[in-house]
Amino acid sequence: MNLTCIVCPNSCELFIEKNGDKLKVSGHMCKRGIEFAENEIKAPKRVVCTTVKTNLQNTPRLPVKTDKEIPKEKIFDVMKEVNKLEVINKTKVGDILIKNVCGTEANIVATDNFLF
Amino acid sequence: MKEYDVVIIGGGPAGMAAAISAYDNEGKVLLIEREEKIGGILKQCIHDGFGLVKFNEQLTGPEYANRYIDEIKKRKIEILTETFVLKIDEKESFIMEFMNREGVQKITTKTIIFATGCRERTSKQIFIHGDRPAGIYTAGTAQYFTNILGFLPGKNCVILGSGDIGLIMARRLTLEGAKVQGVYEIKSEPSGLTRNIRQCLDDFDIPLYLSHKITRVFGKDRITGVEICQIDENFQPIPSTLKKIECDCLILSVGLIPENELIQELGIKINKFTNGPEVDNNFMSTEISGIFICGNAVHVNDLVDYVSESGEIAGKKAVEFIKNGEKTFEKTSVVFDEQFLYVVPQYYNKNTKEDLLFYFRSKNNFNDQKINIIINDYIISKKYKKLKSAEMERLTLKNDFESNLKKINLQME
Amino acid sequence: MKIENIKKQIEKKFGNKISVSEKNGAVLLEGKLNKWEEVIFCGKIAAKSEMHRGVINKISVEGIEIPKPIMPRIEDSIFAKDNYDVVIIGGGIIGCSIARELSRWDIKILLLDKENDFAMHTSSRNDGMIHPGIASKPGTKKAYYNVLGNKMYSEASKELGFDFKRIGSLIMYDGWYMRFLKPLIGQRAKKNGIEMEYINKNRIKEFEPNVNSECVGAIFLPSTGVISPYKATFAYAENAVQNGVKIGLETFVKGMRVENNVISSIQTNRGEIFTKLVINAAGVYSDEIADMAGDQFFTIHPRKGEIIILDKNTHGLVNSVVSKADFLSKKNTKGGGIVKTIEGNLLLGPSAYEQPFKEDYSTTESSINSVFEKERKILNISKNDIITYFSGTRASTYKEDFIIEKSQKIKNLVHAAGIQSPGIASAPAIAVEIEKICVNILKSMMDLKRNNKFNPKRNEQNISAFIDEKERNRLIHENPDFGKIICRCETISAAEVKNAIHSVIPALTIDAVKRRTRVGMGRCQGGFCTPLITKLIHEETGISYTEITKKGLGSNLLVAETKVSEVDKHERV
Repeated sequence: MNLTCIVCPNSCELFIEKNGDKLKVSGHMCKRGIEFAENEIKAPKRVVCTTVKTNLQNTPRLPVKTDKEIPKEKIFDVMKEVNKLEVINKTKVGDILIKNVCGTEANIVATDNFLF
Repeated sequence: MKEYDVVIIGGGPAGMAAAISAYDNEGKVLLIEREEKIGGILKQCIHDGFGLVKFNEQLTGPEYANRYIDEIKKRKIEILTETFVLKIDEKESFIMEFMNREGVQKITTKTIIFATGCRERTSKQIFIHGDRPAGIYTAGTAQYFTNILGFLPGKNCVILGSGDIGLIMARRLTLEGAKVQGVYEIKSEPSGLTRNIRQCLDDFDIPLYLSHKITRVFGKDRITGVEICQIDENFQPIPSTLKKIECDCLILSVGLIPENELIQELGIKINKFTNGPEVDNNFMSTEISGIFICGNAVHVNDLVDYVSESGEIAGKKAVEFIKNGEKTFEKTSVVFDEQFLYVVPQYYNKNTKEDLLFYFRSKNNFNDQKINIIINDYIISKKYKKLKSAEMERLTLKNDFESNLKKINLQME
Repeated sequence: MKIENIKKQIEKKFGNKISVSEKNGAVLLEGKLNKWEEVIFCGKIAAKSEMHRGVINKISVEGIEIPKPIMPRIEDSIFAKDNYDVVIIGGGIIGCSIARELSRWDIKILLLDKENDFAMHTSSRNDGMIHPGIASKPGTKKAYYNVLGNKMYSEASKELGFDFKRIGSLIMYDGWYMRFLKPLIGQRAKKNGIEMEYINKNRIKEFEPNVNSECVGAIFLPSTGVISPYKATFAYAENAVQNGVKIGLETFVKGMRVENNVISSIQTNRGEIFTKLVINAAGVYSDEIADMAGDQFFTIHPRKGEIIILDKNTHGLVNSVVSKADFLSKKNTKGGGIVKTIEGNLLLGPSAYEQPFKEDYSTTESSINSVFEKERKILNISKNDIITYFSGTRASTYKEDFIIEKSQKIKNLVHAAGIQSPGIASAPAIAVEIEKICVNILKSMMDLKRNNKFNPKRNEQNISAFIDEKERNRLIHENPDFGKIICRCETISAAEVKNAIHSVIPALTIDAVKRRTRVGMGRCQGGFCTPLITKLIHEETGISYTEITKKGLGSNLLVAETKVSEVDKHERV
């Protein structure tokens, strides 16, 4: 099967053959492509980037993201958890707002500064 | 009147990089930004994918911007926000008039760096007809509403154009609970990056319809639907494919146009392929020396990393230009064949000693394409596994050429 | 022409399908035809009768249902049982200028419009040209009010604070027959009282160096001017309100109580209003208002036109209003041209074609293309220069002339109806005439006194498109919000937007702010400023984001706030 690697701008077109449990990957320009292909077939993961509500009228939203990739099927669960928050305290880039969101081992971190 | 060496118009990724580099090269710098905060369009680009080249990390737009803002804070760079440039006069120096809440001020500067970015192509520019209902937005405007103000422009959206911003918004709106019916692209190829098609459309089962266009918009107060149809090789609608789709929002991602109003007022011509002014390898205008242009104002980039790169070069070279007594040198025109849509820069200073850097776009898609770069009597070949018209390429060449650059020619085999 | 002759001519084409009779001094046409063009044809025949003062064309078309006027969605009684001396129906430039002139008198005036803002119809959908008067036949009301109105703009624009410039118009003409028509044009200019200069084909380049001067010759009319028609409408309206006029927006006149040929009250969706006098300035619906009062003697056939706006970077291509005329054309307008607008855009058009829908402002590819192709013949422009296009409808009667008179039947009704082109140019003169007529009627009804508090100068700040840096600096020092630019295409500041929101006729929708300040009219067409305007409207008025509309009820900009529906209370971090 064919897969486009999304790790870097090269967007290599990967060609994947399944040999029983093993995967043969070709078309990649670096190791990350193999890792990506393996994950994508077995357990696709994504980073979720979104915003969170704040209490400031002038900046009512603060951008956040998961600090690691999370299982693709948990994207909307993660969104739900993030949407429950309202940021009221000083926050800087990288601050954790939710630890281990939805049991994914990824944290929700701020990607911009708030009141900072 | 206050005097500066370098005044930078625009505090986005290009302008911030230019400010830092000009300052580090000991120029007296002023950075002018019309919004409340610097960072440019990155402030609303809350998705990741920025900085892969520059920082080897996947950063969100705000994170990328903050890397530069942190660097700016470490330096004593003068910044004026909520400031709008009104006029520029060319005398011995440049006299710039700008306004903000303090009033109208005039300053003189030896060089100006335009980092004014771009704007979005509008519904009128692609000749959408019908009534004027609410609910039709360009993707960037929809992005501002969603990410900065926190409001959904629609709950049932159709996206016209497979440009990156449209793809990003398809995902964003879906994440925030809206339904995206599909993305409709007039060309037979998507305009955005392949990885965005995967991450934004495929991931969410949002269909992409190539060779489709919107023929009508319905709704008087708010949009109620669109009529779409497939088009043939001559871009003519195929009547049997006409279909009406209900929606409450139409998002347009039909291209970006470099923002060059002030540049044009100075009389500088716009290249019809890049839609931006022509520059040399220092990002200096070939028509008015001392005017530099960088970032998306020169041509629309796909990667912000290259935007910053051009800003960094412009900042450094602006100061160098002053130190060299504002001398200009002979330039060689960069020639390319018709397989290229454009190559930036359009000119190279003959006496350039640094490595050569080109950005280009291919007119068509090619696989296993060889590009020959002829510099003087040498031919250097670079092979590309894939060349896509939707993806801008960056090419560097080591400058081992002993003599001046007399001939620069790019050819596709 | 006698009724029998009209009958004969119509019968020749359509047999017995159409009944021709007389009503209220006008020709009444009834029946059913197959095409709208046929309806127009019959109306035009009937209009030729000099014995009849108008044409009531009630012929319907098989398969076309003419929609009722789009009504406001409010129902309340804020005007219930209110008593006024004058009610003006229609808030375009005609109604607003009449209101302003009448406010010189100490009387209770109410200015109504069915929309949520003034100038939403023809007054904001035209080329902003203050015509010289050459297009109108001498002896018509159009010719008279145009020439007079044109002169009045110099004073009116100063008093009311809106930009006005006389840029002149150059009409090039083709055709060998021009040698014969030339003296006739000269005669018309003289009869109408217009300054005119014949321009030899070789001299055209002096006036317009960039225009394709392949023609036989040209005429130049120096009195032609340009304004921003919507801004001028608001200038009149605001001055009227400042001088005591009350306004009623989203107020639709449903009917009138008429007793002994006197209107005693007006029924609206906002209550029954009692008034001594009614002025019909209802544009494309002025025929329906006349009908409601029992004085219909005309119907409006809304001639539609499209207009294209070009990017400001084309402004240097033309110096005045330029067109190529075909004087033999049977159309009712010259067919438009290229206008250098007051703000420095180039405007192409308008076109003119008959169609039955009074409020259909949709545009089509073919009509926009034809406007573009026509003007492309005289100027080197490209489709890439187009930044927007829009359409409008003209309130044309079959007599193709203004109706500026007191009703011959209803004792307290005054008509300022059927105002098509050159309506904008004529407005100041029409307003003064209507004021005279009303004053005469009112004097017989009440002890009429002047309004000693009348101030002809508008209070509201007008920020000219031409302010220089000194003026800008002064404004910023008065109010720093003038230093914050919101619309960067048109250089419009936050102060101007806030002033519009808080003006005596508050701008509470995006389009309303646009009509008063021009935000969103530049090359990015609101891409950057729309969210900023929305934010300002919210911050200045408290209207919630999801309730802010583009142009009134139903045109909400945003559908929902993100992240609030799922949770009652947010967890604070």
